[in-house]
Amino acid sequence: MAEKKLSYQKALDELESIVKRIEQNEPDVDELNDLVVRAVELVKYCKTKLKTTEEKLKNNLEELD
Amino acid sequence: MEHLSLYDLNIVIKDCLKDNLKDSYWVVAEIGELRINQKGHCYLELVEKVDDQIIAKNKATIWSYTYRNLSGWFESLTGQKLQPGLKILSNVVVSYHEVFGLSLNIKDIDANYTIGERARKRLEILKKLEEDGVVEMNKNLPLPFVPQRIAVIASSTSAGYLDFIDQLEHNVSNYRFVITHYQAIMQGDEAEGSIIQAMLDVNSEIENYDLLVIIRGGGATLDLECFDTYGLANHVAQFPIPVITGIGHERDETITDLVANTSLKTPTAVAEFLITGCRDFEEHIDNLYASIVDYVIHAFKERKSLLEYLTKHLKYILENSIKEKVTYLNVLENNVKNSAKGRKQILETVLTNYIKAIRLNTTQYLSLKRKDLEGLARNIELVDPKTVLKRGYSITRMNNKIVKSAGDLHEGEIIESEFVNGKVKSKIFK
Repeated sequence: MAEKKLSYQKALDELESIVKRIEQNEPDVDELNDLVVRAVELVKYCKTKLKTTEEKLKNNLEELD
Repeated sequence: MEHLSLYDLNIVIKDCLKDNLKDSYWVVAEIGELRINQKGHCYLELVEKVDDQIIAKNKATIWSYTYRNLSGWFESLTGQKLQPGLKILSNVVVSYHEVFGLSLNIKDIDANYTIGERARKRLEILKKLEEDGVVEMNKNLPLPFVPQRIAVIASSTSAGYLDFIDQLEHNVSNYRFVITHYQAIMQGDEAEGSIIQAMLDVNSEIENYDLLVIIRGGGATLDLECFDTYGLANHVAQFPIPVITGIGHERDETITDLVANTSLKTPTAVAEFLITGCRDFEEHIDNLYASIVDYVIHAFKERKSLLEYLTKHLKYILENSIKEKVTYLNVLENNVKNSAKGRKQILETVLTNYIKAIRLNTTQYLSLKRKDLEGLARNIELVDPKTVLKRGYSITRMNNKIVKSAGDLHEGEIIESEFVNGKVKSKIFK
């Protein structure tokens, strides 16, 4: 996953699109699971980027990859 | 030749002025120079310019007692110190001294004139910026989603800057800010050029920043002239990333504030604004995530209750269906029992009838056949050769073969005739 290229805006856009998809399409349980997993990833990414130093951020991102 | 001493001349001048001038005049002039001596007296040079050309110049004084009162009052009203470059309306007494010459002694200053004058100047600069079409440029830049990479133009030693850094680095939410400081002189004549130079330095590394913050603070009312200049305002207005000002003042906004993307009162207000920006973003993603979680919980709850309903319903249907089947089977059993009984009786009757019929038919058949047999026996008796021979018939044979035609016989051949009671041989004569 190309997480390093994610910007706040892209992460936010994707989160919003996940919410929209969930609200509009009523996905089945499998799809829902995938969407939730991705949402957790995005939220975690943003929070990490918001709250850790550049150095820590790089380490965390490496862990994600 | 009649003559005067210099002193006498100066006395004449002094008397002449005294006789002809009013006690005081209200005069508009620009402060050319200003200095305060050890005793607290203020010595000025008042000038009038046309197109930057000095067309009038006078020495002036404000005695220390008056100066203390006037300067404090003037500063509190205008937000500015009495300083060179300022246009003032002052009440002056023209005095002439034999040794020191002509001088204007300032008794009072009308601060409202300076306020009005500055307002006029500001309007002029604003009009020029509007004509340039740049006033809204920085305001129209969208603020970054998360303001984290920040260039700061400030004086590194100012209390405002230190507060700003402290507040960002110790924010309770632990947001991380990458702050790059650009040193600049923040007041006085050199401030405008120094701040613009710092902005150019930021601009050369613009890709590293989300925002430019210009702050200064600490101290009481300050000299904000540099923030009302066309040059600085123009640079701020056209800066490629949002500019946030926290110049630390109580009076009307400066022109720089007016053209900046966001203008706040103090450096700490700017820091709070940045932290709030991060918090808003975090809350937004938290809300989005919460709505996903809500949906998931709701969806599973819904599915669970649907499942429970279906299970119950299915059980009910099954039980009902089984009951129905059992009832139906009972009915069928009864029906079968009943109809089997009836059927058995019918079948028994039919069977009995058959048996009767078979018995009857067999007897009849047998007696019929007996009669047939008796008839046949009689017929057989009738055609028995012995019976025939008894009736006087005989059988002729030759060479043990029965002769059926007289033509088969020839003269001299011997034939054998069988009668009922024996055989004779005869010779054909003819």
